[in-house]
Amino acid sequence: MANPPISNQIRTLRFLAGEMTQADLGDRVGVTRQTIAAIEQGKYSPTLETAFRIARAFDKPLEEVFNWEGE
Amino acid sequence: MAYREKLAWLELIGMVIAYGGYFIAVGIVDPAPGRLETLTYVALFGAATMVRLLILGTGWLTLKLQMGSDARAKPDERDRSIARRGASIGYYVLLGLMLWVGVMLPLTDTGWAVANSALAAIIIAEIVRDAVIVASYRRGWHG
Repeated sequence: MANPPISNQIRTLRFLAGEMTQADLGDRVGVTRQTIAAIEQGKYSPTLETAFRIARAFDKPLEEVFNWEGE
Repeated sequence: MAYREKLAWLELIGMVIAYGGYFIAVGIVDPAPGRLETLTYVALFGAATMVRLLILGTGWLTLKLQMGSDARAKPDERDRSIARRGASIGYYVLLGLMLWVGVMLPLTDTGWAVANSALAAIIIAEIVRDAVIVASYRRGWHG
């Protein structure tokens, strides 16, 4: 399946947050470690609610975490 | 690999081995469909079900012990979304195959031929469901 035209900065933001683990982020957001990994790899598009929760976990606005790459 | 992807693999493998074995056995001992003694069908089906339960039980226990906290985690939105997709596609496969069994019904004179056809429809639908779940975890799903 083709990746959606959405990229994200989650890996970078985890690094900047003191190398936060995928499991830690998953616990904060309410999803599994594998789902965070799938989002980072562009294999899953989270719901809007989860996207906001991820942004809030990094204390960033949504558009600094997720970027629309399409036309 | 995610715990629930491994579970889907387990169910897929269990289904193919157990009921694939059942249909191979029925095909060998029953070349004219539906002519065997009822007890023979029941025994073959019972054996296939026991094999499936054994595979699922052993695999499930192994995964629980191997994957610890991953296995204890509740399904999240991605797991639920993928499960819905698998069930939805499996349902349409089942619907189509059961229609085929229904059309075949008046042309068949033995109950076991119809029963085995219906069983095959259920098993194929379940295999499709499991395969869709595995593929969605492997290749990604953006539903």
